Amino acid sequence: MSETSSATRSSSEAAPFGSPVGRRLRYRPRLVLEIRESMPAWQQFVILALSVLCGAAISTAILVWAGVPASELLSEFVNTVVDEQSIRAVLTQAAPLILVGIAASVAFQARFWNLGIEGQMVFGSIAATAVSLWHVGPESLRLLLMACAAVLGGLIWSVIPALLKLWLSVNEIIVTLLLNYVATYFLYDLLYGVWKDPTDGFPHSQVYASGERLPDIAWSINAALPVSLALMLVVVWLTQISRFGVYLRFIHANVAMAMRVGVPVVTTTFGAVFLSGSLAGVAGFVVSSGMEGRLSQGFFEGYGFSGVLIAFLARNNSLVAPLVAVLVAMLFVTGQTLQIFYQIPFSMVQLIQAIIVMCVAATEFFIRHRINLRG
Amino acid sequence: MAAVELSGICKSFGGFLALDHATFSAQRGEVHALLGENGAGKSSLMNVLAGFYAPDAGSIIINGNTCRLAGPRDAAALGIGMIHQHFKLVKAFTVAENILLANPRNGYREAQAAIRREIRAKSEALSFVIDPDRRVDTLSVAEQQRVEILKALVGGADILILDEPTAVLTEQESESLLSNIRDLAVAGAAVILVTHKLQDVKAFSHRVTVMRGGRTVNTLDPLKTSTEQLTTLTVGENVEIPSRIFHERGGPRLIVSHLKHRANAARVTLDDVTFTVHAGEIYGIAGVGGNGQTELLEALCGGLVVEHGRIEITGDVADKPSDITKASPRQRLAAGFASIPADRHAHALASSLSIADNFAIGHIHEGRFGSWARVDRHAIWRATNAAIHNADVRGVRSLSQRASLLSGGNAQKLVLAREFSRFPRILVTHSPTRGLDAKATAAVQRWLIEARNEGVAVVLVSEDLDEVLGTADRIGVLVRGRIVAEFAAPADRQAVGKAMVNHV
Repeated sequence: MSETSSATRSSSEAAPFGSPVGRRLRYRPRLVLEIRESMPAWQQFVILALSVLCGAAISTAILVWAGVPASELLSEFVNTVVDEQSIRAVLTQAAPLILVGIAASVAFQARFWNLGIEGQMVFGSIAATAVSLWHVGPESLRLLLMACAAVLGGLIWSVIPALLKLWLSVNEIIVTLLLNYVATYFLYDLLYGVWKDPTDGFPHSQVYASGERLPDIAWSINAALPVSLALMLVVVWLTQISRFGVYLRFIHANVAMAMRVGVPVVTTTFGAVFLSGSLAGVAGFVVSSGMEGRLSQGFFEGYGFSGVLIAFLARNNSLVAPLVAVLVAMLFVTGQTLQIFYQIPFSMVQLIQAIIVMCVAATEFFIRHRINLRG
Repeated sequence: MAAVELSGICKSFGGFLALDHATFSAQRGEVHALLGENGAGKSSLMNVLAGFYAPDAGSIIINGNTCRLAGPRDAAALGIGMIHQHFKLVKAFTVAENILLANPRNGYREAQAAIRREIRAKSEALSFVIDPDRRVDTLSVAEQQRVEILKALVGGADILILDEPTAVLTEQESESLLSNIRDLAVAGAAVILVTHKLQDVKAFSHRVTVMRGGRTVNTLDPLKTSTEQLTTLTVGENVEIPSRIFHERGGPRLIVSHLKHRANAARVTLDDVTFTVHAGEIYGIAGVGGNGQTELLEALCGGLVVEHGRIEITGDVADKPSDITKASPRQRLAAGFASIPADRHAHALASSLSIADNFAIGHIHEGRFGSWARVDRHAIWRATNAAIHNADVRGVRSLSQRASLLSGGNAQKLVLAREFSRFPRILVTHSPTRGLDAKATAAVQRWLIEARNEGVAVVLVSEDLDEVLGTADRIGVLVRGRIVAEFAAPADRQAVGKAMVNHV
């Protein structure tokens, strides 16, 4: 056989193991990657903070390029944390964000990628609005009934992807995402049809009666914030203290193994998904009843993705989720200001969120590897 | 001139000294075995030689030149090729594409043609046949290993390191691989065989270096050294080989009848499997890997729905057996099942969770550790502490440490401790000692025998014939999903071996 094949390499093939003379190494500085076993928590935190800063820097560049003067931008953000009215807006905004954040993190802990938070919010609000429009129950209990209806609405909308996954192994990412559109168009059908406001003819429902709106508790902050914090504590209890939480951890870590050692995998996963859907339903109710005062067309927009972002940044830890939710709320509020004063589209807020998610996702690499410069 | 000379190599990982002034040399023309228990530092030392780890101290001399290896590329340039335990192949690519990927050349078409020629030449020289155009995922494990070796050879490697190459192979495959390796050495390569199997060392290596606790203990001629001497050097102390005391068996406990399962229309994986296991009996299932072992085990544990057949268990009192063919894994656990799979990190432990959690999960649904509303962390810690102490699980710095940090033997002991703490009545286990060192193997086997003596019905599925012959009271031979023969202990090794391969 002719040996004409080794065109680029001088490994002698005639004698399978020729002399190694002639192979030399070139020494030059280079980056060497090593896999690390673990990293101290503070270092992980520093890397996380740096990546968020990095995302903020990129976002700033984009905003400046879009026409917001850099100096103004800073003052707008500072204003959000200094101005009393802005703080109030941030805290009000934080309530539904906490809810969608913990909704996402509960589902993610069961490795169920619920991207249908917006659809579940829509059905939560539709159910609550139905209670309002049909005057269900005594007025004194109306608000509570609306909240319960919202839980049911969100829950039912999460049953569909859960069952499809169990029975037919349909990927829940696709089902939940597409069901958002189904929910949205169903909402439009109601708002342009039977539930259209008869007083002004606009595609939104009639305003809720005053007893159907979440009351202010203090300092013009409505009950949404304490409600969401209380639900957050319930979730912390379920995931970190109760037996359900232990099951969830095992399902998250290794489903095959969990099944083998007797973890009720199906029940636990369903529990997490239904909890996630219910929380999203409550988030919808909180926006409609606490902020808008009626069922409106686009009340849910941006929350689904924000929920994913919050769960992701909080590493599915429900105790950390409120902190991240406040930061995202600041971004929301500042975004609204920028929208008004500089005609920056609201989708810019989503763009900034996406940039931050990508930056944070990249930190995983630095947490797992060590980079050395070797000469 | 030695092909490889390592001296005074030290390497520590976060305070743990994995290599402690290790010294090793290998010549061209020899198969040099590196023998040691799990965690003795064999793989670490070889990873240093292959450029994956930078040593903290010590010198590496290749072909007479002192080298500094900044990475596997440097090592490859010096002709060092390492075949890892876990193959690094792209499954969807063909053999030729995989080899081309590791040894990039200019021009796709010409390079493919050239690579194909080289693969043919090299594999013919080694007297094995491999089609360069087959996709890697259609190859058997043994064939994939050959591809890895070819990859290194095509890259011009003449110092070959094989890390536990026979761990994934059957007896026959191992033999043919090791004789191929010997041919390579005779042709002029330096072959380093990392292993913990004494019989491989005795039969196929020219020299052996023994490692223990990160140090190289001694280099010997395997033909002039007895098995006992080698065992003593590797283990550091005499291993107690479990004595076979015959035990009175009880009534039938697990009755498996006419099990049938198909992977798809064409492939029958379980075919009319029928056997009975009594209380106080170890029923061994011998056979070459891939003859239905995994499916049988899954069927017993409830992970697989059989097409046909029954699995029944009986209580302590001779009563009507209850049918558990359709019971879920959870219901089987409640009925007294325990299982110890071969791949503990994939099937028995959640590697990313703590040791305490991994122990507690076996009991938590019984309400032993707090109510459903509140898990009692303290109770878990107390119980885990006691269990790992009893089971002699070592390497535990803290109970909150991740289970993945336990070595193979200690991880398996943790699994055993958990499964036995539930006092099972039926134990189903698949190659429970796979990948374990001699000491841990003996401990696990002793545990199985003790369980039997206490009246547990044990099903031991193993591809290691020595293990089955050494521990089982009765042996069924599984071939193509059928139990083709049954032997009572003490079984004739030749007869069992014949049944394993003579399938008609």
